[in-house]
Amino acid sequence: MQEYQEIKESFEKFIQSISTTSDDLDFRKKSLNNFLQKGYPVSKDEDWKYSPLTNDLRKFTTFDFPKDQNKILPDDTKELYEHYAVIFIDGCMVSEDITENGFSIKKNNLFLKSVKKEGDNPVLNLNNAFASTGYLIELNKNCSIDKPIVIYNYFSKVHQASFCSFKNFILLNENSKATIYEKNIYLSDKEYLITANTEIFLSKNSDLKKYNLNCNNKYSTIFNFSKANLDESSNLEFFTFSENVNSCRDESVINLNGKNSFASINALQLQHSGFVHEIKLQINHNEEETKSSQFVKSALHDESIAVFQGKIFVDSKAQKTDGYQLSRALLLSDNVKFFSKPELEIYADDVKCSHGSSSGSIDEESIFYLRSRGIDEKSAKELMINGFLAEVIDKVSNKQFREIFYKKIGHNLENA
Amino acid sequence: MIEIKNLKVSVEEKQILKELNLSIGKGEVHAIMGPNGSGKSTLSYALSGKEGYNVEGEVIFNKKNLLELNAEERAQQGVFLAFQYPIEIPGVFTNNFLRTSLNSVRKANNQKELNAVEFLKIVKEKAFELKIDPEMLSRPLNVGFSGGEKKRNEILQMSLLEPSFIIMDETDSGLDIDALKIVSNGVNTLRNQDRSFLIITHYQRLLNYIKPDFVHVLSDGKIVKTGDWKLALELEDEGYGKFVN
Repeated sequence: MQEYQEIKESFEKFIQSISTTSDDLDFRKKSLNNFLQKGYPVSKDEDWKYSPLTNDLRKFTTFDFPKDQNKILPDDTKELYEHYAVIFIDGCMVSEDITENGFSIKKNNLFLKSVKKEGDNPVLNLNNAFASTGYLIELNKNCSIDKPIVIYNYFSKVHQASFCSFKNFILLNENSKATIYEKNIYLSDKEYLITANTEIFLSKNSDLKKYNLNCNNKYSTIFNFSKANLDESSNLEFFTFSENVNSCRDESVINLNGKNSFASINALQLQHSGFVHEIKLQINHNEEETKSSQFVKSALHDESIAVFQGKIFVDSKAQKTDGYQLSRALLLSDNVKFFSKPELEIYADDVKCSHGSSSGSIDEESIFYLRSRGIDEKSAKELMINGFLAEVIDKVSNKQFREIFYKKIGHNLENA
Repeated sequence: MIEIKNLKVSVEEKQILKELNLSIGKGEVHAIMGPNGSGKSTLSYALSGKEGYNVEGEVIFNKKNLLELNAEERAQQGVFLAFQYPIEIPGVFTNNFLRTSLNSVRKANNQKELNAVEFLKIVKEKAFELKIDPEMLSRPLNVGFSGGEKKRNEILQMSLLEPSFIIMDETDSGLDIDALKIVSNGVNTLRNQDRSFLIITHYQRLLNYIKPDFVHVLSDGKIVKTGDWKLALELEDEGYGKFVN
């Protein structure tokens, strides 16, 4: 474990610098020990087989951490509609806590509500050991937030810290409803590691729409992890839009714990250059009459690489499960790679589950049809790629956000 | 005026069209009839510029040799192919496609491109004439359209782009009588003294509704007989047997 000696030293220094509870400290130490037992994941681990992180994580053997500074979010990254803004710049929360009638958005101090259970995901253990900031969103019973909450996670060009570790917490109590948009912007050209661990709890009849944007990361290594627990009749809609993001793994674990709970998990990858992006989903149907849907679309240019690992797990007691999974990749050059691993693991006998995965190049018949209508070849291809991606954006049920994402792929809304 | 001279088309090693000659005057409607495998669809693709064919000869249209232009340039010059099986394109909305197409053609002809409002006004009028539900236009292109809807959508594109040379490839296939009437009416409204048609069909049925000036029989890659619309009736009675070696 010589190679992790420096990480151990970083940890000693790190815990000296924070003031926290003994519980929290204890959990951090356990998490670090768990990490040290196996170290960084390797491609031999089935769960990490095609992950870009297995190579890239090894660059990080010593850590320094974000320092609070007075920084301001540039105007051009601000969303133009009314919203509640939660702002992180270079790994520090710079916006004030928000407390309104029925809900609160705060800095996740001391991670008091977080589940303190170390698992076998090495990067998650690292995150838990070094967690330095994050948000905590809580909605009271029957609260329905009319404006979206926008979380700006902005890494400026002058960002320095080599490791940022976020731990977030979202709790929707009974009958509450919220839309959260998390905007991750990576501008620094330094190599740094960002991990985010978001715990989501949806109580009976609650409804969360969580939309995520990852864009333009060249140099950092990113691990975004979300775990959602759904109670009876709750709904989770999750959409992640990733454009030109290198060395990034977006992983989600969804537990459908209550009857009639429903999770719709959708993702889009639009990649150029030699960027590598990975999506890993695991949906656990733990109770009867639960429903899930996964839909992933990838458009790959140049030498980009995309990975999709998606699993539907059905517990023996989860009868009448309805699970669906589909991934489609559009290969736009001979040099792209798409790795897909769709999995079903079913222990109940009265279930409906389907999965499918396909990859292929752009349809030449369609291109000819468009060209025969006077549209030049380049525009015809763009139209086809946009159309391909628009199908997954269609799953975004909030019209305002659907249009935001349409615009990001250059979809013309004027004629709609 | 379209002048097809010594048109030879082959795919890989197989010769499909062999020295085809045909001239179509302004405002004329020509029908090409022929049995399966005679080269009808190949003719429509060779004229509209589909890739993958070895094409020799000349097709003079608007003083240009069409064969030297690519598919989009031919469309911009006024060539229009109505597809036998219009392609379904998921995610591409019909309205967006129609406007992109119309503006591409307008731009190539130095006409002002239409903004969304101007475009919608025109498309709504045209859709109404063709009994097309405007709701159809906000759906992805041809996806989930019935056979009749797809063909009406082809006629709508034709009426928006106002081409001067229209090739119709088996337009009657997959149409019931009502749809056939609507489509034929659409075509007949577009007939005028400057616009030429080449109608490719198996059956005489379509020609009851769109009456051609000339009928040609295509067999084994060549035109083997030419006559007026009565030739179509003759073929319906007697079949293609006597033209096939």
